Amino acid sequence: MKKLTLILLTLQSMLIADINVAVSYPFIAALTKTVGGDNVEITTLAKGNWDPHFVVARPSLIRQVSRADLLIINGAGLEIGWMPPLIRQSHNRHIQPGTKGFLDLSQFVNLMNKPVAVSRANGDIHPDGNPHYSTDPYIMPTLADAIASRLALLDPDNATNYRSNANTFKEGWEKNLIRWEKAMAEVKGKKLIQYHELFNYFLKRYSLVSIGNIEPLPGINPSSRHTLELIKLMKAEKVTLILQDVYHSPKTAKYIAEKSGAKEVLMPHDVDAVHEADTLAHLYDTMVKRVTQP
Amino acid sequence: MKKLLLSATLFPLLLSAETASYTSYSSSFNQSAFVPDIALIVDGSYTHRSVSDEDMGDYALVGSELSAYNEFNENSGFNLNYAELSLHSDVDQLFTLDGVFHFNTEGVEIEEAYFTTTALPWYFQLKGGKFKSSFGRLNKQHQHVWDFADAPLVYNGFLTAEGLNHVGLQLQWLAPTPWYMMIGGELMQSGEEGSFVNESFTDTSTKQTVSASNEPALYIAYLKNSFDISDATILFGFSAAHGTTKTADESNNTVHGINGNTTIYGADLLVKNYFNSYSYISWQSEILYRDADIDNTLTKNADDYQQSGAYSQLVYAYNQNWRAGFRFDTMFQDTTAVDSHKMRNRYTVMADYSPSEFSRIRAQYAHNSAFTNTTTGQQKDIDTFILEINLAIGAHGAHNF
Repeated sequence: MKKLTLILLTLQSMLIADINVAVSYPFIAALTKTVGGDNVEITTLAKGNWDPHFVVARPSLIRQVSRADLLIINGAGLEIGWMPPLIRQSHNRHIQPGTKGFLDLSQFVNLMNKPVAVSRANGDIHPDGNPHYSTDPYIMPTLADAIASRLALLDPDNATNYRSNANTFKEGWEKNLIRWEKAMAEVKGKKLIQYHELFNYFLKRYSLVSIGNIEPLPGINPSSRHTLELIKLMKAEKVTLILQDVYHSPKTAKYIAEKSGAKEVLMPHDVDAVHEADTLAHLYDTMVKRVTQP
Repeated sequence: MKKLLLSATLFPLLLSAETASYTSYSSSFNQSAFVPDIALIVDGSYTHRSVSDEDMGDYALVGSELSAYNEFNENSGFNLNYAELSLHSDVDQLFTLDGVFHFNTEGVEIEEAYFTTTALPWYFQLKGGKFKSSFGRLNKQHQHVWDFADAPLVYNGFLTAEGLNHVGLQLQWLAPTPWYMMIGGELMQSGEEGSFVNESFTDTSTKQTVSASNEPALYIAYLKNSFDISDATILFGFSAAHGTTKTADESNNTVHGINGNTTIYGADLLVKNYFNSYSYISWQSEILYRDADIDNTLTKNADDYQQSGAYSQLVYAYNQNWRAGFRFDTMFQDTTAVDSHKMRNRYTVMADYSPSEFSRIRAQYAHNSAFTNTTTGQQKDIDTFILEINLAIGAHGAHNF
């Protein structure tokens, strides 16, 4: 009898697979892997070097969402153009918004740049505020805790595991934060421009000053008039740095660099956006390095 | 006078201040946060044809006898194709509800009104109401998603102007395979036109009465598969629709008709390769075969026929703003025609510019040799130029792939 119970128990543990987690972006995958360890199987839906707003809702992604036990998204409207069709077509009741298999990380973040007036005449704006909070490394510990709590809710047997993994991460992260803080102190108050308001959280955290964007309105391609005005403004403000994201054409940034004398750097916004940013820590290492030593 | 005005404006102010402590009813039952997603999409065009609108009535696409093929860009000159109002929201923890209403200069049509389940187990999803069938590739998509301003000839010939869009139920299942595989079935009330027209009539010569099916008489099934090779997505599907065909043919003051059933088989293939987040090339093709098994109530003879048509289109998106495309349409089999395997073709080119995600301006030119004069049988070349604008406001949900 005892033997049978043992066999049944072994069988049961074999049958209970890992928790299948689908995440929208690579930085969430990195955090989830750190917290979940070997108990989670992670699928990343978007690529780190493509525009996070315009992920293609391919049927293969529908399949990945359909087998997930947990779907973790950035939120704040960043996935509005591609995640709803995936959820809708996934036929998966476990990850519908409002269920415990759906986690929107933006709810743990105080969003900045919430527009006072919302109109599409002002471009493709996010009514809830700027969704690109992942560029601020100080937000990561909070998110690690949020993911640990949710994994614990779905898999109570390993709850202590998830919590201790999150704590280990947070301890290690403190040292990283100190390192970045120290490096970034040297460029405090530095004036720059960026393509899209992609790095606002990073800039605010380290007191960098953005005086304009290459795109005239969010989601609208550069125009020559706007570019010329920007160059004039940059000269007046003595701007020395241009942050170019990895997914827009660098053509305009290169032109502005040539005309204004500012230095153009390719700035990663997510894990795997550039080759060096292969882990979460390396992402911020790369960002810090490219801003401090352009 | 000034004093009076002042007191008139002050009076309600004073009143509201005095009563403010207990007049909180207006927000206690405020439901504005539950307003569904509302969007309005307007599509209009300027159309120029080499044949006048009056003369167009003399020409028809082979095999389109049961369909009204021109839903969009119908008139020479300006057209308001539609103002599409769409509403979407969760009903509760089990259902979502969608309503799509087409306003045009003649009135309002319920384009779609359906519920979808969100909580069925084992990868099932049930849909019910009036909805666009998932038959084929283009049928489910609304006009504003199409890569061209009009539907392919074979859709116009075999389906109705709105495609397969009837009242019924749909059940879809996602297979737990490593790739995407979806199997679906639909049961529908067949309609007032198209291959699956379902109308009662009495033949005036034979006095035979043919009654329309009271029960759902249209059955649709499909299988769709998709997988990725690097940054390219391949999507292919097989579809079939089978249903009753009963309709009167009123001519020369007599009524006779056709009675039987029709089956349409379809196969579709899409290959779409993304070069980056914005630029892609896509190649999409569909082939449809119609097998009509019908009797003529007057002659008592079998009036069976088989017809086939296909289209293939290539679209290149240079960036978020600019796209260009070419489409080849053909009707290549028709057993009712003298030359049953003659290819009747149309060639279409288009270029469109999208200033933002919410607006698009498109120029399209088509050279159409697929139409014939309905009395003489003479083939006629028709050239059509369309300048189309499509605008969207409000909360419009993201589209399926």
